[in-house]
Amino acid sequence: MTLTLQKSAPATRSDLRPIAANAITYLFLIAAAVLTLAPFLMSLMTSLKSPKQFATTPTLSLPSPVTFENYQSLFTGSINFLVPIVVTIQVVVVLVIGQLVGSVLAAYAFAMLDFPGRNALFWVYLSTMMVPPIVTAIPLFMMVSEVGLRDTFAGIVVPFMFASPYAIFLLRENFRSVPTQLLDAAKLDGAGPMRTLWSVVLPMNRPILATLLLITVVTQWNDFLWPKTITTSQTWQVMTVATTYLQSQYENNWTLVMAATTVAMLPLVLLFIIFQRQIVRSIGITGSR
Amino acid sequence: MATQTLVEGRSTPVSRTAGSGGLRRLLTGYGFLAPSLIGVFVFLLAPVGIVIALAFAKWNLISPLEWVGTDNFSYLFGDRKFLNSIWVTILFTALAIPLTVILGLLLAVMLNRKLPGTSALRVLYVLPWVCAPLALGVVWKWIFAPTDGALNAILGVRIEWLSDLGLALPSVAVVHIWSKVGYVSLFFLAGLQQIPISVYEAAKLDGANAFQTLWRITMPLLRPTTFFVSVTSVISSFQIFDTVYAMTGGGPAGRTDVIASRIYSEGIESLRIGRGAAMAVILLVVLVLVTVGQQLYFRKRLTYDMS
Repeated sequence: MTLTLQKSAPATRSDLRPIAANAITYLFLIAAAVLTLAPFLMSLMTSLKSPKQFATTPTLSLPSPVTFENYQSLFTGSINFLVPIVVTIQVVVVLVIGQLVGSVLAAYAFAMLDFPGRNALFWVYLSTMMVPPIVTAIPLFMMVSEVGLRDTFAGIVVPFMFASPYAIFLLRENFRSVPTQLLDAAKLDGAGPMRTLWSVVLPMNRPILATLLLITVVTQWNDFLWPKTITTSQTWQVMTVATTYLQSQYENNWTLVMAATTVAMLPLVLLFIIFQRQIVRSIGITGSR
Repeated sequence: MATQTLVEGRSTPVSRTAGSGGLRRLLTGYGFLAPSLIGVFVFLLAPVGIVIALAFAKWNLISPLEWVGTDNFSYLFGDRKFLNSIWVTILFTALAIPLTVILGLLLAVMLNRKLPGTSALRVLYVLPWVCAPLALGVVWKWIFAPTDGALNAILGVRIEWLSDLGLALPSVAVVHIWSKVGYVSLFFLAGLQQIPISVYEAAKLDGANAFQTLWRITMPLLRPTTFFVSVTSVISSFQIFDTVYAMTGGGPAGRTDVIASRIYSEGIESLRIGRGAAMAVILLVVLVLVTVGQQLYFRKRLTYDMS
């Protein structure tokens, strides 16, 4: 690319122009990187200061000495942030397993089985992708309250544990690319649909299943609206709900609050660092969240 | 792609004969669908039906439900708070989305120059997208805090970012932009990578400068991506809730009271279920229109390869 530039431009400017362009590019990209990271680093820094240190030193000074006082108070005494961590893990595990199992089965049916009503149903499933969570929040709140499951673990997970239309759509597209010869071979071997799914289709679709697993974990871990809607006590607070609760209880105790946000985000930041390539690819597949 | 596969599906040679084979196929098919049918019909479609019904009712979960016809809607269209929330949502979208799209495009163009050391940055920019908007909102609430917040410390000023009537919404919009730009840039990057290099080489031979290349070649060729990104960004910004809840709770004086916050506080916090449901129905209708419009424009689903 630089070669063609040099050929076409006059001699003296040709040497400078690409250098200037590169410099601007680096400047822009580095500035963007700094802006992206700064809030994370600044909040981490604040969480490592004692409240007294934070009050008496300049806001952006480095913590000296580094103290884990805030993290200690998060997990000992009256706050007990361990409860929301455990609740969140339980919620995420149930939702991820439920959604993946339900979605894999449905996607297999839509991709490979033939039965009356299949195509119409698929369009119905697709159309539900348009419905935003804030629209179903009120009726679900009403339904769950009517059966007495408000502020229970079941109330949090049951409405969302059966399947995700989006996951079904994604899996169906991928299941369809399994070569028919393989399916025929499985049939000749006497494999029923369940065997075929388990030993032919699933092993061939490991990458998309891994991607979907990641997206589901991220989405459910970060969910706030529904857990906030359906829980009233601290017993069933998930991390996001507990974070806002803490923030309202300890208004302006920023060192403690930043410790809480750090704890709430850390697992996903780690997940992100480990699986960055898969996550970036998943965005390409998902289209939009 | 969806339409195409559907047609293929119809033409599968498997017979549709009745009898035991047909019955077995029916049972197998619906057996596999069973869990998702519960999810879709009981927890997605039924709620949509219920929310539409409740929009014509007056109810607070406790006293008996009362059918009130279109009262909720006629009330809402004279309700300052509701009209304000529509205005705030539109203003928020107008502040946040164009900048997100432009910055995302710029970032992608810069990344696409593939200078040494920049490929790792592509991933870094997506980091905010992975984190809970709620937690990020709380972090930014501190950053914007008047006395001991980071931003005022950096600028050496004492501005009430989140309680100033004029600054609150732009401040929330900045956070939205910050968290979405990296994500949006990935779509543009994928779009850019589909443009053949030969097009650029030809432009350079013709003596086009960088700006001309961007404006005359890159932008027109990226139009489908730009459209897709813009529409999906608008759809998600019409639903923004977590960030607002964490940063301002809708205040000051309703200046950040977006439609989702309004639905939440009316329908769930104040238990005026009918009014909340009516607002939810209005939002749903708008979103369905936007989505269907987008689908009609595209006809086929765009897929991006970012591996």
